Amino acid sequence: MENTESGCIKGAEAVLNVAPKSSIPVSYHPLFGPHDDLLLLELDEKLLPDVINQRVSLRGEPNEDAVLCTKSKTYAVKFVGTSNSVFLVPPSDQFAASENPSIASAIKVAPGTMELVEVAPRIDKLKTLLLENPYKFDEDNEMYDSDLYQWDDLINKVQASDEELISALRILSAVEINGYWRTVDYKYMEKMLNTLINNAILNDWSLSSLDEKEVVESLVDEGFSRVIAHHCLEVYGSKTNESVWELDKKRVCVHFARGILLANGKMKMESFMEEWIRKVPGGMVVSLDMLEGEILVEKLGIQLWIYAFSVSSLPSDPANRFSRLFQERAKWDWKDLHSYIRDLSVPGLTSDGLLLKYTRRTQPTADAEPVFTAR
Amino acid sequence: MEIKLKCSCGESSCPEWAIIELQGVVEVQPDFKDRIQNLQIGLLCRPSSQETYTFTVGYHELSGSKIPLKKPLLVLKKKIIKSDMEIDQNDDQINSSRVELEVIGIIRQRILFKTRPKALISEPQVAVKEKVRTPCPVVEK
Repeated sequence: MENTESGCIKGAEAVLNVAPKSSIPVSYHPLFGPHDDLLLLELDEKLLPDVINQRVSLRGEPNEDAVLCTKSKTYAVKFVGTSNSVFLVPPSDQFAASENPSIASAIKVAPGTMELVEVAPRIDKLKTLLLENPYKFDEDNEMYDSDLYQWDDLINKVQASDEELISALRILSAVEINGYWRTVDYKYMEKMLNTLINNAILNDWSLSSLDEKEVVESLVDEGFSRVIAHHCLEVYGSKTNESVWELDKKRVCVHFARGILLANGKMKMESFMEEWIRKVPGGMVVSLDMLEGEILVEKLGIQLWIYAFSVSSLPSDPANRFSRLFQERAKWDWKDLHSYIRDLSVPGLTSDGLLLKYTRRTQPTADAEPVFTAR
Repeated sequence: MEIKLKCSCGESSCPEWAIIELQGVVEVQPDFKDRIQNLQIGLLCRPSSQETYTFTVGYHELSGSKIPLKKPLLVLKKKIIKSDMEIDQNDDQINSSRVELEVIGIIRQRILFKTRPKALISEPQVAVKEKVRTPCPVVEK
């Protein structure tokens, strides 16, 4: 074969630019070795800008499988081995050695690569951490820091991207107090909401048009912290205008329903409805539809019973979620099941896919409702 | 624990590494097993202007081609940084270390050899030796 002039090109450049009708020797680099600190990571082209701009990190505790997080997504990292010999040739300016390597030198044989699979963020841990110490009314101001978590602590402990973490905190109705992320104890929220509603009645405020300043000040006067008073509006209301809030009927009614069932456990439907109607603020109309995903109704004989079963108390990963659901009830109809799985998100699986994977669907007759059981 | 993926490549792309991949294992003669550094593995030839290649290892010749990777591979270097002594709450000195990961290269293509090795019966080295002219003179120390 003829050779052509190629100047003094070495290393990876030489391998990638072998001129037609020429050849180059490939050798073991003077520093050839296992180099266990060199790893290969397969990455989608579209994630490259995030890596170049240093917006990517690995998260997890030493006993967990690592995940890779961008600003908004979480990926499981899997090592895939190969039986091929994968010779890695670095560019000539890396791995300088005292001896001159020959034209192309391999520094290492790679045993495999790491691949990424998009996964749902592992949010259950966040719930566990924040439920350790919910913020209470008579809280000791000298809580030890080690039991509370700041944003940076959460990043270090929860395997989720920043955006997914923020979203999860919002769903948990968590609030940042003195730099620590906290959930607020149910009784505290209840006390605050009741105070708010009472003050509204006393002052003749409209629940659909509350003045932020007036509400917050009235709560602060009663001993609630300012931050939590604002949080109360966020949890139970929606902003309709600059500093004007409307109480969300559904969220308020659900709150009272929860309180009643928390105090009474399983109740006869009529008793529950009676108490519920009585407790909600005047002008709010209740309907059982509001309680989808919060309660289950059981028929024992001719009597209907109702009890609390909130989707927010269930695991967020699909396998455990379905397992828990079928533990509660062996058979589900779509209307009930739907409310308890619609919040599940698994990258790459549609809701039909989820059903297919975790349930068995039966339909007694063509016009009967389908029933779902465990797989 | 959070380990940030560092990348000092900046706006320009990361240095490109190359992969030469063969099925099977290259065996080094037992006498050289402990000092394989600098030993030649084989000769990579590109016979035409196409992206087809042969790789001659010993008296075996492999045929393959340069193919783009479906997804790029990043070359990461893992560093364990032992930080200076830290004092914990009991005023005891503890050695803590953390892991850093840095992107030091990217791979977009590989030269993959998938064929069964062809045994070269005649002496190929002589013919090749005549034609190969090393572009860079080997510098003697």
